[in-house]
Amino acid sequence: MNRYQFLWKKIAWALFTILFVVVLNFFLFRILPGDPVRSGTRDPRLKKDAQEALRIRFGLDKPVIPCFETLNPIKPGDCAVNPFETQFFLYLRNLTQGELGYSFHTNRPVADVLGERLWNTILLIGAGQLLSIVIGVLFGMFAAWKARTSIDYGALITGLVAWSLPTFWLGIILLFWGSNNGFPIGGKATPGISSFPFLYQAGDVFKHMILPTITYTIVYMGEYLLVMRSSLLDVLAEDYILTAKAKGLTTFQILKDHALKNAMLPIVTIIAINLGFTVAGAIQIESVYSWPGLGGAVYEALERRDYPVLQGVFLLIAVSVVLANLIADLTYSFLDPRVQAD
Amino acid sequence: MAFQTVEIKPAVPSSPLLGFWRIFSKNRMAVVGLVMLVVSIVVAVFAPLITPYDPQTSAGLTSGDIYNPPSAEHWLGTDDAGKDVFSSFIYGSRVSLIVGFFAAFISIVIGGVIGIVAGYYGGRLENLLMRFTDLLLVIPDLPLIVVIVALTKPSLFNIIFVIGILGWTTTARIVRSQTLAVKSRKFVLRARAIGAGNRHIIIHHVLPLVLPLLVVNAILVISLAILNESTLSFLGLGDPTAISWGQMLNFAFGRGAMSAGAWWALATPGFGIVWVVLALTLLGHGLEQVLNPRLESHHLMPGRLTVQSEAEVESTEKARRRESPVLLDVRNLSVQFVNNGTVAQAVQDVSFQLHEGEMMGLVGESGCGKTTLIMALNRLLPASGQISNGHVYFHGKDIASASEEELADVRWSGISIVFQGAMNALNPVRTVGDQIREAIVKHIPTMTPDQVDKRIVELLELVGITADHKDHFPHQYSGGMRQRAMIAMALSCNPQVVIADEPTTALDVMIQAQILELLDALRKRLGLAIIFVTHDLGVVAEMCDSVLVMYGGVTAEHADVDTIYNAPRHPYTQELLKAFPDLSQPEKRLVSIPGYPPKLDALPAGCRFAPRCPLAFERCLVEMPKQYELPGHHIASCHLVES
Repeated sequence: MNRYQFLWKKIAWALFTILFVVVLNFFLFRILPGDPVRSGTRDPRLKKDAQEALRIRFGLDKPVIPCFETLNPIKPGDCAVNPFETQFFLYLRNLTQGELGYSFHTNRPVADVLGERLWNTILLIGAGQLLSIVIGVLFGMFAAWKARTSIDYGALITGLVAWSLPTFWLGIILLFWGSNNGFPIGGKATPGISSFPFLYQAGDVFKHMILPTITYTIVYMGEYLLVMRSSLLDVLAEDYILTAKAKGLTTFQILKDHALKNAMLPIVTIIAINLGFTVAGAIQIESVYSWPGLGGAVYEALERRDYPVLQGVFLLIAVSVVLANLIADLTYSFLDPRVQAD
Repeated sequence: MAFQTVEIKPAVPSSPLLGFWRIFSKNRMAVVGLVMLVVSIVVAVFAPLITPYDPQTSAGLTSGDIYNPPSAEHWLGTDDAGKDVFSSFIYGSRVSLIVGFFAAFISIVIGGVIGIVAGYYGGRLENLLMRFTDLLLVIPDLPLIVVIVALTKPSLFNIIFVIGILGWTTTARIVRSQTLAVKSRKFVLRARAIGAGNRHIIIHHVLPLVLPLLVVNAILVISLAILNESTLSFLGLGDPTAISWGQMLNFAFGRGAMSAGAWWALATPGFGIVWVVLALTLLGHGLEQVLNPRLESHHLMPGRLTVQSEAEVESTEKARRRESPVLLDVRNLSVQFVNNGTVAQAVQDVSFQLHEGEMMGLVGESGCGKTTLIMALNRLLPASGQISNGHVYFHGKDIASASEEELADVRWSGISIVFQGAMNALNPVRTVGDQIREAIVKHIPTMTPDQVDKRIVELLELVGITADHKDHFPHQYSGGMRQRAMIAMALSCNPQVVIADEPTTALDVMIQAQILELLDALRKRLGLAIIFVTHDLGVVAEMCDSVLVMYGGVTAEHADVDTIYNAPRHPYTQELLKAFPDLSQPEKRLVSIPGYPPKLDALPAGCRFAPRCPLAFERCLVEMPKQYELPGHHIASCHLVES
């Protein structure tokens, strides 16, 4: 298989996965019990005709899929339904137009809500990932290099403890400590700051980011540390490291030129796989720090049973993770020359 | 997570459980994890006996009881409803453990079945199952769990079910690869050959070997399930009828513990989660170390310092008949390995001189210390190895006591090595040209980049590789080419001594001949001294000037090549020659030596060859022979020589 075939195969698989996610996302919110309008608005006083109006507005008066009724053996109906007049088709059509429905709670388009929150999450995850990768990889390297010393043992235990910490709890503890030590108590900016000059605002956002980023870094650093340590231990026991040593290269040269790239290969995969977990972490961290990102949106949507928002966030998260995995696969194929030959 | 998935060796047949426990109890991490886990299970089971208050009722409480700090009455204070935090904390362990174990049970069963079926039956079924697994693996599980639980009823049963049914993907993958590995084992093939059914083979042959891995994975799955449950509860999706740690945090966080400064209500539940998850993590990590032991030693660990246990003796070797100057003078070299307090004597009291242009054959069976000896010459011993006596003079400088900087200079530009198995000795992710370049840049810094490029091409052409292969990766080379590239690399810095460590093993006969011719030609052309490590006495007879025969870490015999082949004095040399075909005596029967070389940590008291020696007598069993010097610079360590 040459490189292009490899790339196309990966891209095709990612597209298929996205399609799967899209379909799953639709049925998840349809098949599960409960009337979305009733449970969504949670207002018992809502009149029958108002409910009906809502149903029509959300397209819920249409059948879910063609012949959905006929699938039910107790109530066989006729199958003369126009497939374009179904909820599933409406959903697909809306998706292609970037439309994700309206929030039950604020009545705003879900796409708008997510659009403004996406960047906040990317900012937080970006800073946290970057820090945790750099710190985790460096400490993991150091631990592997100093294998079987107290440095190594300490790093290993630190990594295991960090991995065992529940993200939200660490967030709560740091927030508790921080709120008593002059840190902001959550959110992204101090209210009313928008009239101040830009640099002042940026500084304010930075101050709000410190604790969430530290929480994020501690939780994910552990895993990078453990993976890097184990990966580098394997690499440093390889014959080509002995060759490099026999060539008279210094320890630093060997680590930099022979060990690092090889040991980083598993890290690339882990970073991509982690993106799924990262989202889980973001939900917790943003809930604790009231950070106005996607994770915070999940928390609020759960509280308000705002299903359209929940559905939109889930779709966005799942698609991003699939794309991140694709990017990791492609990066891997560029980093490891052996992939081209397979 | 870093739980690695490597094939696990079957346990020792004699009382495997006891043997397992013996290793397990030595692993501190695993034991600490197990103890922590047992403590939490005991606490969960006996919760009603431990707790001073009933965590469910809040009867008799007043608003004054809310968020009371820890006191003698309430060890960990009270919560937002005035209930005892300590009691809730103890009861919370029940939910965590129940969800963790039951959800993990569901995951493990599903993942185990899918993994075994996919791995065992293979084909389309495997493809389908693994594709499905990949599909689910990509979808982030916590958001999916959150969505499903939010849409259904947040009861304990639902939570267990949803976490369990979404948590099997990693298990399926791990089990599948292990099943694949087990499937091709001999005893499975044999069972199939005698007509055992698939079900029988899976239950009796595959499952026992998959099980240890499954246990390690199960521990990880349990800890993930516990973390997921606590996150769900914290997000307000917990079972309202069961107190869990996540829920306690949800209440405390949502109901003003933060502003009330009630740290006890915030810290306590989290401590419980960390305790249980850490217990499982430590246990899993330790268990993996036990089941899949790794040396955790590598080539960059600092080596042990050379010691001199005996005073230096004058070189036993007088000036040899060769006129050429001595390049490498090894005197009384001893090497030992120290592992967990046990000492293994790998090389003892080996002396030889290597002259300019000389090719010395180093022969002996595997495990006789040949590789250890040559690694010691360049101080490339593993971290457990140590030069325990002796000197290695190269240009009058003792390598055995050289500093790291001096060593870095001698390595490759003075003494270079052609490693056996060039596939592993070359870095797979860097081009061959690049790997040659770095040696030249290091040792000949005066060369300009253009000159270095030219030199690389010259070197490759010298060993018969065309210039266009310079920028190829090792995996794009054939086996013979890799070995030749290794030779080109070894010659890159104009070394005076080249050590060739079985450079032709694993190559076919034609390529072997090519490589050997090449080495011989290069020696003559460049005036190299070569130490040639090999099992092939035919090659030695053809190419070498002198031969050092090693047995059990000591010099058995050392002489020029004619003497070794025509008048060997040591029985080991004689036996080796009997096992080697001779073209002048085609009717000669080949005889192999019965038995094996001694283990280095259990050496015999007398002569090391005595247990296998056909000529051994009483003295050989109790007294180690010294190295007797015979006329013609011939050394043999055998009592028979003395008489």
